[in-house]
Amino acid sequence: MKPGNHIIQAPMEYSLCTGCVSCEMLCGLLHDGCIGPQHNRIFLQPGRIKQMVHKILSCQQCDDHPCYEACPRKDQAMCLDLKTNIAYINESECIGCGKCQKACHFTPSRINLVKSRNKDERKAKKCDLCRDKPDGPQCVKWCPAMCLALSEGPIPWDETKEEQA
Amino acid sequence: MSRNAEEKKSRLYGYAGKILRINLTESTTEVIDSRKYLPEWIGGRALAHRIFWDEVGPGVGAFDPENKLIFTDGPAGGTGIPTGGRAVMCGIGANNLPEQYTSSSIGGWVGTVMKYCGYDAIIIQGRAPKHTYLLIEDEKVSFLDADGIWGMLISEAQEAIFLAHGRDTFSMVIGPAGENLVRDATITTSNDHTLSKAGFGAVFGSKNLKGIAFHGTGSITPYDINKVLELRLKIGDYHHVPNPVTHQTALKSIAYNIPAPDGWDFGKLACSPGCNSRCQRLMMNMKDAFTGEKIAQIEKCVSPMAFTMERDCFMPVGTWVQSPRNPRSMGAQRSWGIPYDENDPDYPVISEMWGGDTTNYWKGDFDKGSMMDQLCKEYGIDKWDFIVWNMTWISMCKKEGLLDDLDFGMEPDPESAEFVRYFIQLIVYRKGPLVTLADGSRRPIGDVFAEHMARAIRLLGKEKYGDSIYHGRYSHILKKNIEIPVSLEAGWGQCTHWHGRGFQGCQKWFWTSNAILHMLNTRDAMSSGHTHLTTDELRTIQKEGICHSPTQIMAIRRTETVAILTDSVPNCEWQSNEMFYPEQNAEQFYAATGEDLTPEQLLMRADRARLVFRAILMRNHGRCRDMEVEDAYPFLTYPDPAGDTVDWEEWNDLVDMYYQSAGYDLATGWPFRSTWEKADLGYMADEMERLGMLPPEGGTPGYVRKECPFEGHVRKKEPAVTGNAG
Ligand code: SF4
Repeated sequence: MKPGNHIIQAPMEYSLCTGCVSCEMLCGLLHDGCIGPQHNRIFLQPGRIKQMVHKILSCQQCDDHPCYEACPRKDQAMCLDLKTNIAYINESECIGCGKCQKACHFTPSRINLVKSRNKDERKAKKCDLCRDKPDGPQCVKWCPAMCLALSEGPIPWDETKEEQA
Repeated sequence: MSRNAEEKKSRLYGYAGKILRINLTESTTEVIDSRKYLPEWIGGRALAHRIFWDEVGPGVGAFDPENKLIFTDGPAGGTGIPTGGRAVMCGIGANNLPEQYTSSSIGGWVGTVMKYCGYDAIIIQGRAPKHTYLLIEDEKVSFLDADGIWGMLISEAQEAIFLAHGRDTFSMVIGPAGENLVRDATITTSNDHTLSKAGFGAVFGSKNLKGIAFHGTGSITPYDINKVLELRLKIGDYHHVPNPVTHQTALKSIAYNIPAPDGWDFGKLACSPGCNSRCQRLMMNMKDAFTGEKIAQIEKCVSPMAFTMERDCFMPVGTWVQSPRNPRSMGAQRSWGIPYDENDPDYPVISEMWGGDTTNYWKGDFDKGSMMDQLCKEYGIDKWDFIVWNMTWISMCKKEGLLDDLDFGMEPDPESAEFVRYFIQLIVYRKGPLVTLADGSRRPIGDVFAEHMARAIRLLGKEKYGDSIYHGRYSHILKKNIEIPVSLEAGWGQCTHWHGRGFQGCQKWFWTSNAILHMLNTRDAMSSGHTHLTTDELRTIQKEGICHSPTQIMAIRRTETVAILTDSVPNCEWQSNEMFYPEQNAEQFYAATGEDLTPEQLLMRADRARLVFRAILMRNHGRCRDMEVEDAYPFLTYPDPAGDTVDWEEWNDLVDMYYQSAGYDLATGWPFRSTWEKADLGYMADEMERLGMLPPEGGTPGYVRKECPFEGHVRKKEPAVTGNAG
């Protein structure tokens, strides 16, 4: 598996995450027009009580694309961007079955899911590096602490089995 | 991305849409449509005032099941608007004297997560039959047995809730202090933010409520996304820089330099979701006061005082006075590391450091300070009161030899870490040797201080333990020692906060204005509204004369109303006090809700909430002029760092000017019918008339100002306070 092109969090010596969750909020706002815990594709994992050092979790854009492989509507709902080799979701075709979420290499999964009584509203939410935005990933742009960046470094595979801290 | 008219009508943008009533006695809930109150009553404090007026009548005490706690967020919460994530709790407070309706504001995640659960507010009423905590998961509310977490420290209880319900569940809980009805008990969130100032932790305790956990899955939709983005750049844009953690070998400020033997690491955190500021000091690699392990503590404004208090807190004048070229609060700028414009012709005015008396309360001690802060947090007791009131009192009384007749069970010594720990525990668990009270009865000493300082001092005997003079205060302006009482009480049973003496030196225009704001409130009014001015306004006040200046009255009234907006939109005083950006609240309100009000129209809504607050105080607590004037006055008779005081006539002149400007009767302090009606509150005028509290237009005939009922700072005849009386 080759290195991905993914969001990383800076070390605290460069910039400490302030816990403002602006990254989560702006992600929901600029993709879905609303903000809530089912609408973000980047996740702040709160630091342990009495530590308060928060960790940012996001899709690592693995190039074996288990999410894409698991999608029952592959190439209609979960699609591959051939230019960048990342998987993205075409929401109008997504049925919100959650198979991509389960297939994610990482724990917790880096794919979010809107659960709703209304079947039509059930959608998976996956980071697509804001492929439709000319100025790139909005979490990187709006993080006031500038502690997020795009990286082509190796995927941190040691985090795949990470339990919630 | 704004919406068309139809979309706008179809939903409440910015709001969650529902208000949840929780009846602890019956273990039942009820859902109220937010449209009953919103957007008319904005949200936050304004909304809570309106609900409380509708639902809680006179005669209800803090610990009565009939007391209702209203926890509410505003429309900016959960929208990505910076500063919008704060929240407010209102109800009858436990730590003001007498007990009165009050409010407390808080950062942290819970306000926003409550909105993700679908609620703009929750109303907590009744008393649970047994120890309970609430789990709110969207529509589902569970009343859970709290026996397993009752008695736990704050962080232990939070950890237990995390383990039981997952890390995406956000809680606010009380510690042992709240359980034991300690009157300045706090409610603390899992990311270490507290509802401190009203004693609502004790009210939770009285309701058998250990805490509330929220797990929300819903969403909030702001009306105008482009405007949200614009505000993110406009408010706090200067924070768009990295936030490196730095290693420190001491805790330093202008006033102190305390060596940290093992060093510590300094980071900064945001207080609430979506904020792009970083006002919280994260002290990492500190020693846990219970286990000795390495932990991080969040320390806010007063916390550094735990580490040392040799001089009182002082800041540049520009903390409250802004000029066009330095339009932001300098106190905040300094802590954020933003350079000042030193070529500003007003720079000499705003950069002047003022006050900073030497008080010698306690010397620098890094480990003891860290311990004091952490114990307050873990037991769930208000840091401000413990540090600035309890501990300064111990220090001053000890130096004046007043503690000899009080048996603490060990030598009271503010320099001793062992004593500090022991003293907090006495209070939290209401224990310790029996002491004889002024009325001859005996109680454990910790039980006395658990009644909060104002009551404790009266129980012990105010003349000796409250009004005795501390002789160790040295003014650097006058170059001599000046008087201060051993108990730093400023009115409504609250500790001094920007009253110009005892803890924070400040200029007379500032502390007289703050004293009016405090007088009109029911608690320390400063935590969401210090008086702010422009440099031009300051010059005008100086010309017109402090206490006789229409400009000063204008500034007081502006601060009073903006403070309500700050707690309602919501906003944050440090970020929103820019005198040169008065549209901020209206812009935030519009971005969230789509209600396109001018700043003046939104201020009118906040002003209406201010009048509802006044109505509650009148109807529920009999509020009137004499209560206000006499409660705030005594502390102002001690000298400020320049030796200034106000006398009875000067103070009353200022009150008269405020009442006249607000449309209140001079004799009673009650609004005229025309005042209520101007705010569309004619029905309240009717209610006041029914209660006999509607003065004739033009004022009570034959009103003559009362003679001063004080000799110096002591009331000629002090009414007795007994036991736990409110
Ligand atoms: S926006 Fe930046 S500082 Fe805020 S939570 Fe996200 S990563 Fe942390």
